[in-house]
Amino acid sequence: MIDSLKIYIPNETTSNSVGAIDAHKAISKLEGIEEVEIIRNGSWGAFWLEPFIELEKQGKRLGVCYKGIDLSQLKTLDEFLSDFESRSPFDIRDIEFIKKQNRIVFSRIGMGDPLDISFYQSNGGYDALRNALSLNHQTIIDKIKESGLTGRGGAAFPTGIKMQTVSDQNDSIKYLACNADEGDGGTFSDRLIMESDPFSLIEGMTIAAFAVGASKGYIYLRSEYPLAKTYLKRAIETARENNFLGSNIQSSGFDFDIDLRIGAGSYVCGEETAMMESIEGRRGLVRSKPPLPAINGLFEKPTLINNVVTLATIPPLLNGSLNDFSKLGSGKSIGTMPFQLCGNIHQSGLVETNFDISIGEMVETFGKGTKSGMPIHAIQIGGPLGIYLSSAMMSTKLTIESLQSIKGSVGHGGLVVFDNTVDMSEQAKFAMEFCSKESCGKCTPCRIGSIRGVEIIDRLQKNKSSKEDSILLNELCKTMEATSLCAMGGMTPNPIYSIIKNFPNELIEK
Amino acid sequence: MTKLRETIKSFTQIEGGLMPALHAVQEMEGHISKNAISELAQAFNYSKAEVLDVLTYYDDFTLEPSGDHVIRVCGAEACQSLNSKKLTDQLIDHFGLSLGETTKDSKITLQEVFCLGNCALGPSVMINETVIGEADKNKILNFLEDIE
Repeated sequence: MIDSLKIYIPNETTSNSVGAIDAHKAISKLEGIEEVEIIRNGSWGAFWLEPFIELEKQGKRLGVCYKGIDLSQLKTLDEFLSDFESRSPFDIRDIEFIKKQNRIVFSRIGMGDPLDISFYQSNGGYDALRNALSLNHQTIIDKIKESGLTGRGGAAFPTGIKMQTVSDQNDSIKYLACNADEGDGGTFSDRLIMESDPFSLIEGMTIAAFAVGASKGYIYLRSEYPLAKTYLKRAIETARENNFLGSNIQSSGFDFDIDLRIGAGSYVCGEETAMMESIEGRRGLVRSKPPLPAINGLFEKPTLINNVVTLATIPPLLNGSLNDFSKLGSGKSIGTMPFQLCGNIHQSGLVETNFDISIGEMVETFGKGTKSGMPIHAIQIGGPLGIYLSSAMMSTKLTIESLQSIKGSVGHGGLVVFDNTVDMSEQAKFAMEFCSKESCGKCTPCRIGSIRGVEIIDRLQKNKSSKEDSILLNELCKTMEATSLCAMGGMTPNPIYSIIKNFPNELIEK
Repeated sequence: MTKLRETIKSFTQIEGGLMPALHAVQEMEGHISKNAISELAQAFNYSKAEVLDVLTYYDDFTLEPSGDHVIRVCGAEACQSLNSKKLTDQLIDHFGLSLGETTKDSKITLQEVFCLGNCALGPSVMINETVIGEADKNKILNFLEDIE
């Protein structure tokens, strides 16, 4: 072996989507390649640089963006090495996009092989679980409460309080369900955890289960993420083999195991009650609340439901990062949030930072403007149930409170950028179309209202100044908002309200 | 015992086993046949209508076989911002299919999907289980040629 020479080639959906698979194929065939170690790492989340291939020698790790470059012409390792050197390799940790972030939850992504449990443990992994297993259940819950962590799936409910409710139930059987049905357009933070640091999710689930007294966990993963499925399956097996799952975990007397369940293409199944219906083997129709899942959830037992990033945040909180996390921000917007910068943006990727950052800073400092080079016209925040902001609103902060005050939400943290070729009336229509396609059908205003909504917007596209249709659209939105059981029908009006308000004359002419 | 019956049986003892059983049948048969519906109903002690009720709710379960290659074009917002609509139209034109249809030779099924989590490098298209980022018509046709 060439002394400690390592080549890192990512194996992650986005990297693979632009050539990492071909690069790996070509590099594996090079003459002399057996002299070096190839590591399939996760992605650093600086996606515009993918496929980003790195070389590590004498402890120094530098990389090159190999997008659009055909490596299959190279024959020997030496040819590859000199090609690599000729492309001005750099340390990705030195670029502003990464340096300006505060990666507490995503601290390991990109660094190593996501399925290497030794790598995980030598980089802080499982220290938190070992620590937690020696603590009293209530002490763990108190620490989570103290941290100020709120649910990162979209609803921003205080995680510690939810854990307390489940813990307070006296049932002998309790469940933990991890919501990995990351369906909002413009989001990929859960996927990145599952594909680039899956043990952090498994460890977080194990700690949460221990704290609330659950002995069985489910991960409900969307079927659109086949690579995450492969990673999770193998990571669960490895955790079992190493006694981090199963009976008597690390000789603590605590038993816990995880069952991976796959969704089947329904957006509403990301809503927690519909998700439970689906796990139980039924149509994904939402349930009315109460009862709260924390009291009467999966199979009628108390169930702790959290999203992937929320659960993956628990280990660092119990492993020395609690103060670093909780000192950031205020109110509900405490700690770091993984924002996902995407759409028509030059530097797209995952940005973990505190909430107190403006949209302008996000899309300019991190994103460096549009990919097309045209001016920004709109930014969608919080997925299909979030809102559209105009380019005049760049100073808006990304805190939960700031977005709530303009009838929006951080949601799952997706920011989708559109340039000035976007037709906002089409975006408004899409909100209704999406609702009509994905509605579970339980509530009439959502099921039928959304179809009427598409028709009204169709007419408005032909006559923007129709008073009648403008009033009708507003009344329809108010009805959907007031009378739908879940956020699907209840929040579909939000993008439409925001387009009417922030983009005057683009949908409705006053 | 038939292979189908055996496959289904392995899921009857687990909580909420119908969904994983449906996935297994879909993978095995390429769709959920009438025969499989009867087998599922019997194994889970449901009526056939109850099995049909569940499976028809989910886009992933189909009553008819799909084409050899399933092309799913993302129609969610991040891909819209990079003109996925134009790409979808080009593919509709090229294959002469509407969304959800399969070519007469059973080679290609064209579908729409909402979000593949590849939003950073759209427009995105999934062919079988492979995601193609920054997709255009040529990339898709070349990929199909490579896997044929």
